[in-house]
Amino acid sequence: MSKANSEIPHGTLDLLVLKCLDTMGPLHGYAIARRIEQVVGDSMQLSQGSIYPALVRLEQEGWIEAEWGLSDTNRKVKFYSLTKSGRKQLRVEVANWEKATALVARFFEASR
Amino acid sequence: MSARRTLRGLLAIFRNRRAETELAEEIRSHLGCAEEDALARGISPEEARREARRLFGGIEQIKEAQRDSRGIAWLETFIRDLRHGMAELWRAPVFGLTILSILSLGIGGTIAMFSLMDAVMLRPLPFPDPDRIVGIWEAPRPGVTNATTVPEFLVWKRLGTQFEAMSAEQLTLSALNASDGPLRMPGKLVTSEYFKVFGVRTALGRTFASGEDQPGATRVIVLSHSGWETYFGGDPEILKHPVLLDGTQYQVIGVLQPGAFDRDAIKFWRPLVFTQEDKSSAAHRLTVYGRVRADSNVAQAREQMKAMHAALLTRSLVDEDRAGTIEVQQLSFLLTGSNLRRSLEIGFGAVLVVLLITCANVANLLFARGATRKSELAVRAAVGAGRGRLVVQLLTESLALCLFGGVGGTAVAYALLRLAEPFLAQALPFTADVGINWHVLLFAAGAVTAVTLTAGTLPAFEALRGDFAEALKQTSRSSSSIHIRLRRAIVVAEVALSLVLVAGALLLVRSLRKLEQIDARVRTDNVITASIFLPEHGYTNAEKAIVFYRALSDRLRATPGLAQFGFSTFLPFQWVNNGEGIFIPGAKNPVLVRCKRVDAGYFQTLGIPVLVGRGVSDQDRQRGARVVVINQALAARLADVAHVQDPVGKSVRLTSEDYTQTQTLFVEVQIVGIVRNERTTAPGMAEPPLVYVPLAQSPVPNFKLLIRSNGNETSVIAGMRHALRAVDPNLPLADIATLEQVRSETFSAVRRPAWLIGAFALVAIVLSAIGLYGVISYTVAQRRVELAIRIALGARSLDVLAQILQSAFLMTAIGLGFGLLGVYLLTRTLRGFLFEVSPLDPVSLAAGCVLTIAMGLLAGFFPARRAARIDPALDLRRG
Repeated sequence: MSKANSEIPHGTLDLLVLKCLDTMGPLHGYAIARRIEQVVGDSMQLSQGSIYPALVRLEQEGWIEAEWGLSDTNRKVKFYSLTKSGRKQLRVEVANWEKATALVARFFEASR
Repeated sequence: MSARRTLRGLLAIFRNRRAETELAEEIRSHLGCAEEDALARGISPEEARREARRLFGGIEQIKEAQRDSRGIAWLETFIRDLRHGMAELWRAPVFGLTILSILSLGIGGTIAMFSLMDAVMLRPLPFPDPDRIVGIWEAPRPGVTNATTVPEFLVWKRLGTQFEAMSAEQLTLSALNASDGPLRMPGKLVTSEYFKVFGVRTALGRTFASGEDQPGATRVIVLSHSGWETYFGGDPEILKHPVLLDGTQYQVIGVLQPGAFDRDAIKFWRPLVFTQEDKSSAAHRLTVYGRVRADSNVAQAREQMKAMHAALLTRSLVDEDRAGTIEVQQLSFLLTGSNLRRSLEIGFGAVLVVLLITCANVANLLFARGATRKSELAVRAAVGAGRGRLVVQLLTESLALCLFGGVGGTAVAYALLRLAEPFLAQALPFTADVGINWHVLLFAAGAVTAVTLTAGTLPAFEALRGDFAEALKQTSRSSSSIHIRLRRAIVVAEVALSLVLVAGALLLVRSLRKLEQIDARVRTDNVITASIFLPEHGYTNAEKAIVFYRALSDRLRATPGLAQFGFSTFLPFQWVNNGEGIFIPGAKNPVLVRCKRVDAGYFQTLGIPVLVGRGVSDQDRQRGARVVVINQALAARLADVAHVQDPVGKSVRLTSEDYTQTQTLFVEVQIVGIVRNERTTAPGMAEPPLVYVPLAQSPVPNFKLLIRSNGNETSVIAGMRHALRAVDPNLPLADIATLEQVRSETFSAVRRPAWLIGAFALVAIVLSAIGLYGVISYTVAQRRVELAIRIALGARSLDVLAQILQSAFLMTAIGLGFGLLGVYLLTRTLRGFLFEVSPLDPVSLAAGCVLTIAMGLLAGFFPARRAARIDPALDLRRG
């Protein structure tokens, strides 16, 4: 059964979250989940809850930091923002990703 | 996992609670936001809530996943297992305590022994750059090193360009005038670079400046930290006022920082000043140490010194000196003699054997417990615990045990080291700082881990072997035959190892007995010895020393309770380190001899028989005819190398140092007698040729007093003190000991490993008895029903008893076989420690075997008696 195409590829969620915070500035969990859904669209299926383990992971690495605040609708939420080392990490990961995709693309090109 | 994440994970465990509630709150607001959005799209509230939950996914899974990435899962599991392990121990306290005491003993002994090895052999010496500190010696023959002369040292110092600093030293003794009489303070005379060689710094003041070892400089001393504390009560003003040594004022210019020198006997240092006579003296009295330059190395320095010596071959007195070379040896090599090294290695070997037995025993007990816990484990497996998970759990429990064992072991090691402290100070070089430091703790941690893995792994796997379903159905009684075979094998190994230790200990004890039985060749009963040192101040020349000898003799003679007394430069049993040469007319080479100065009372007091001619008499005065008495060994030597068949009456020339030990004199002496050999070397070694010179004809400042009394010790010592005080109130009477003590101390080098290994052997045999007892008890418990049936069918109690004992005997006997093999393999290692006992000495081995078999039967007896008392009516109903 090919289920892989309907889920976020392993390891990319962290990258998506980082990129999302980079472009949008501080966001709370729900907003991050919505933003990713919007950008990715229906091609991928994301259970919104799965971003929370990712957020904890990223916070532990020191790439993002969290702060309690109020949402637009006056709800108590945690806002996540990118730290300096997070920004650096994002650059590294983007570069890695581009290198990897370029490599795979070239490989497919060659073996066509 | 990066270190930072691990740290955060660790912190996270403690922040656990808060993180959980925060997450719950975050999820709540997330769902709230989602609901709002859905409502805004015009969906019914009911639908909106369901949609929010659907999009979020499994809430509990998310929480779990978040937990996993938050904490370190394995650590949480580990702590849980550890807690479980403790609870298990608590539930069976006797079992727990047994294991703990076994572990503490085994691990404790190992740690203590390791800390000795660490202090003596593994840690660098406690000086800066210790590898560059070397001893420099004359080496007249290969393998022999010798102290050097002043002119020689001055040449070395001038030409030894590979050295950053070089110093010469000489031991000295001083009397410190204290309020309650004179105190002896051992010290060293050293040249100015001494402290530079060792790199030692002062806590107060300074060390010697370069001019302070020149003639005419002011009298100054440097104190060791412990010397400052012991003799001057740590007086902070010590540098401000002079101290009185041997009746002369000295200025203390410095006190060293606390350190290695505090463990040495030397308490102070005084500049070693060379006079004009010294500079041409041929007396070999200087010990030389150097610090090799940082840009050079010991090999280069050695090469340079050897080359220099070859180029300079000086006009030496004795041919052999000229043939020699110079030896440069690292300080660490000099301090740790090969004998000490080997003793430590043997001790460590013994302790490792004990540790192995400990492991075997603990493994055995864990096996027994594993069997009883089989059903518990089966239940856990039934509700879904994987086997790997259960192995980890059992290992963690063993680790909990071993951790406690490690803590207990460290305490045991600490206690052992404290107990052995006084004796260690004697046996180890002063540089060895024995204690529980991080090195030792690291080793302890390693030992604990090793024990856990060795003792815990097999039982863990064994407990999980076989069919859990079966285990659930039956009680724990059913156990695989492999299980019991393994436990038997362990006991056999234990018996074998303890036989090796017991036999080793017995061999050493036998060897010791032989040493004690050897003929001392002198009468040691009721003899008290002491030493006296005449300081240069007040006893400037030979005449003054002779006056002192005579005055002291007269006083002693008048003291009641003293039957006989004698003076001598060396005590019996002690090596005579004064070497001289005898030139026989017509012979090309001198005969090398040891030289002992004695007075007329020496031979009588010790009962040394004069074989030919006469001994030393009171008539042998300074101005009279010069005479010597020789021992049998020298008579034989003379006959051998110089063909002198009847030496008594012959005149020879003898080298001899003058009173100030600066000049070597050639004296024409007549041999007047031959005495029987006394003992001056280790038992088993050939007695060296010895010449006895009358003390009054060749006086020296440092000598011993030997007194045979017919009264009690205390009053005799009081009498000695009184006599000395009457002659010179400033002189301390030092090193008071009975001749018996001197004798046993001299042989104690041989005694040491004996009691050490004896103690280990005792521990080992107790441990293997416990092991054997455990296995036999277990077998009896297993065979209860079978035995009950047999008794019901008419087997007599005695038969049952015999049968159980037989199996105990069988295991012991097999163990003995392996043990004997082990002893055989260790033959060569042991030989060096034994005196007149073969490593395969049948008496020791037989005694060891008998002892071990007795232990085996005793360990088997109690379970056997229990088996014999089985009441078939009761046991069959229960089974």
